[in-house]
Amino acid sequence: MLLSVRDLIVRFRTHDGTVYAVNGVSFDLEEGETLGLVGESGSGKSVTNLAVMRLLPQPAGHIENGQVLFNAEDLAKLPEASMRELRGRDIAMIFQDPMTSLNPVLTIEEQMVETIQAHRRVSSADARARAIELLGMVGIAEPAGRLRNYPHQFSGGMRQRVMIAMALALEPQLLIADEPTTALDVTIQAQVLELLQRLTKERRTAVILITHDLGVVAGMTGRINVMYAGFIVEAATTVELFAKPRHPYTVGLLHSIPRVDAGPEEALIPIEGVPPDLRVEPVGCPFAPRCAWRLDRCWTENPSLGPLEPGITVRTSGPEATHRVACWNPPTADEAAAGAPQRPGVVAAEPPEAARGSATDPDGKRLAASPEPGRGR
Amino acid sequence: MLRFIVRRVIGAIPVLFGLSIILFLFLRLLPGDPAEAILGQHATPELTAQIRTTLGLDQPLYVQYVNYLVRLLHGDFGSSFVDGKSVADTFIVRFPGTIELTVGALIFAVGLGIPLGRLAARHPNGWVDGIVTVVSLFGISIPIFVLGYTLVFVFGVQLHWLPALGQSDPRLGIPQVTHFAIIDALLTGRPNAIIDSFSHLILPSIALGSIPLAIVTRITRASVIDVANEDYVRTARAKGLTERRVDDRHIMRNAWLPVATVIGLQVGGLLAGAVLTETVFSWNGVGSWVVSAIQNHDYIVVQSLILIFATIFLVVNLIVDISYAFLNPRIRYS
Amino acid sequence: MRNGPALVGAVCIAIFVTAAVLAPYIAPYDPTIGVLADGKHGPSLAHLMGTDLLGRDEFTRVLYGARISLVVGVVAVIIGLTFGCVVGAIAGGAGGKVDAVLMRVTDVLLAVPGILLAIGIVAWLGHGQVQIMLAVGISYAPIFARLLRGTLLSLREADFATAARAEGATPARVLLRHLMPNALTPLIVQATLALATAIIDVAGLGFLGLGPGDPRVAEWGEMLTDSARFLQSAPYLIFFPGAAIVLSAIGFNLLGDGLREAIDPRLKR
Repeated sequence: MLLSVRDLIVRFRTHDGTVYAVNGVSFDLEEGETLGLVGESGSGKSVTNLAVMRLLPQPAGHIENGQVLFNAEDLAKLPEASMRELRGRDIAMIFQDPMTSLNPVLTIEEQMVETIQAHRRVSSADARARAIELLGMVGIAEPAGRLRNYPHQFSGGMRQRVMIAMALALEPQLLIADEPTTALDVTIQAQVLELLQRLTKERRTAVILITHDLGVVAGMTGRINVMYAGFIVEAATTVELFAKPRHPYTVGLLHSIPRVDAGPEEALIPIEGVPPDLRVEPVGCPFAPRCAWRLDRCWTENPSLGPLEPGITVRTSGPEATHRVACWNPPTADEAAAGAPQRPGVVAAEPPEAARGSATDPDGKRLAASPEPGRGR
Repeated sequence: MLRFIVRRVIGAIPVLFGLSIILFLFLRLLPGDPAEAILGQHATPELTAQIRTTLGLDQPLYVQYVNYLVRLLHGDFGSSFVDGKSVADTFIVRFPGTIELTVGALIFAVGLGIPLGRLAARHPNGWVDGIVTVVSLFGISIPIFVLGYTLVFVFGVQLHWLPALGQSDPRLGIPQVTHFAIIDALLTGRPNAIIDSFSHLILPSIALGSIPLAIVTRITRASVIDVANEDYVRTARAKGLTERRVDDRHIMRNAWLPVATVIGLQVGGLLAGAVLTETVFSWNGVGSWVVSAIQNHDYIVVQSLILIFATIFLVVNLIVDISYAFLNPRIRYS
Repeated sequence: MRNGPALVGAVCIAIFVTAAVLAPYIAPYDPTIGVLADGKHGPSLAHLMGTDLLGRDEFTRVLYGARISLVVGVVAVIIGLTFGCVVGAIAGGAGGKVDAVLMRVTDVLLAVPGILLAIGIVAWLGHGQVQIMLAVGISYAPIFARLLRGTLLSLREADFATAARAEGATPARVLLRHLMPNALTPLIVQATLALATAIIDVAGLGFLGLGPGDPRVAEWGEMLTDSARFLQSAPYLIFFPGAAIVLSAIGFNLLGDGLREAIDPRLKR
């Protein structure tokens, strides 16, 4: 197993108190696999990966607990010097905004050569040659000439290609891509994604693709983990997730997307409520306040990620990965298709007195007692 | 790039013109009669009439202005009423002293300010940062003359470590060749003269440089903190670069820009501050000349000196602007 | 408020203002009358800050000096604000040619660095309290004008301004009701900091002999000049007025910084 994250907990110390960003995340990744990490802002998807790279903003962020096993070595406990060797060479990361992610006062050549020379003893000439090769690989025309350019002289899509080139320069085993196309135009998005997919497949590079855009993961990934409020709420192969979502949040996500082929009477079913305030320590299932399927125990006990049927062998990675969900009352297939509870007697449970704290939105106001049943049919 | 420079230079010319007009009018618009104002207590009808003719005050304004401009462009800034010497001559003698003072203050401010700012930025809100912040606060809150006298009192009077007044010890008899105290001392080759000239420069430089020090420290700190939070610094770390490299190449290279601009702008403040510093330390520079000129109603000198100061200031700003454009690739290649 | 330094600043200012306002009531002696025989004595129980050359009580003079600094400083900043805001509002509100011309004019004023401008104006206008107020005030006006203009120009393109225009508001209305209120906050911060500078500048002018010019009046800067010769023999004559200037300036600087932090949420400390 290339990467194995176990019970990762990440907290931030701020003026306003502690932020519970990641609350016990576990997942595996095989060599060459592409895993999608999907969620809204605040779901913890980026923070998880920053923690893997040990790039959390200091001094506020810290890994409270958990293990990050990369090739069986726990990165969470590695000394900084060793971690530094790993970064860029074995694990690489590309970020969302290529304009701000590249140093504006250094040429592309300087930035690429320094990456290479940080990990390999090569001459500047050799490093330069490699940089030209890399730029050509990502589809930049006249790479030799463009080396002398500054980041602002490239377009957005090209800048992201440069970032990809830098990330893959040392043939890392794992590439983490944090919202790589969010800042780009739609037409460029497709090009960059295609490039990413082709290059990583050629090199058997494992990829963690972080995004809030379900459309992006659909074509790119083999498996998807859905995150909410610092937890993984559903894990499945991509095909399974889209065909048979089982967590109320995932169901809600899929029904929130306007579909071209939807009929005129099919209304969008938004997910009621707002994401929880991460400054409050989570109690019970984080999605409970917004969930139409919630039971009483959802308010007090947080379900852990488990297979749909009990007792079967669980595969946590690969194309045969088991479909797992963290829910006490997962929707049935019909309900998932409809987007709302349909079994008789399933009414969203009222929050118990003790759990009132977590049933409020960030302004401290109580949310509606129960979300309205879906309006579609 | 060249077009940028040309445009900037051309832009500065109207400002100089405007200033020359205002300064020209300054003399003519003095409350009361300008000739009498210049003469002050010595005004008699004959002298007044004489001055008026000499200065051409009886001619129409625009003629006077043209004459004034022509003279300026020929380097004729008029003569001091007090001692009759041409402004230009006295300027050449006195300006080097002010330059030495300004350079000394700049070296103090930048040499101490940038490292302090970086130090404070390393651990924002830590105790080092706290001390640096307090020091900056005092830097901008203590007037130059208060600090000057305090320094003289502590180091000159009480401790006798450093000399209090003047640019050099007159007993050493250093010949005034360039009127730069330090260069003149170097020219004599005598070690005690050289040490003497440097030691005279220390306290005034500290006094004058206190405000720029505070400002440079603050801006360096703020700039480094800002840059340290930028995305590309995170990228640099993600590439596995050492902290040293991240600091030098990625943080400082970008943090420099606003700092350099501020330093350039401080030169103007230094010129103004020199007026106070030279008075405190009995320094024979242009600053103290302005003060004595005003006190003596030597208005022609005042007028010319202000114009010169402003011109220097504008030129320095121009250089700062152009350097900034040069250092920032985004402007250079656009 | 959480802001410790700003609180310290407010306390300093309070001391300063109290001294200024209550000087006639709490000062133990008359600031203009001195007993020569008591002259040049160090701090004692009778004279908390000592006496000056003419036997006048230093403590009293420092208190009365606060009045001058306060009044002149405040009026100077108000003058600067008034002129500066008018020019800045017109430039920022109108834009285009008007803006260009007005900015050229401020450029000319700004070409004379720092206190030199105030010195020049005082040289032109002559001595006196009113003249100092005008001189210092006018030397600040370009800074305020620049600031307001810059803020207005960037606010003009902000979404809320566009929304107002889309609703049919006239340019004047947009300026007055929408832009100005938002542009005021940086001005307030700058004005507070300018008060600190004003106190120093006024003292500076006094120090250079360009002050109110009335030898009976106690002005901190002039007190320093008068006592400069006695640095060795009577350092307290320099120390106390100097400390008073520093204390007042620190107060306004701290308050200004505190205001800036409170107002700008994006500011990182």
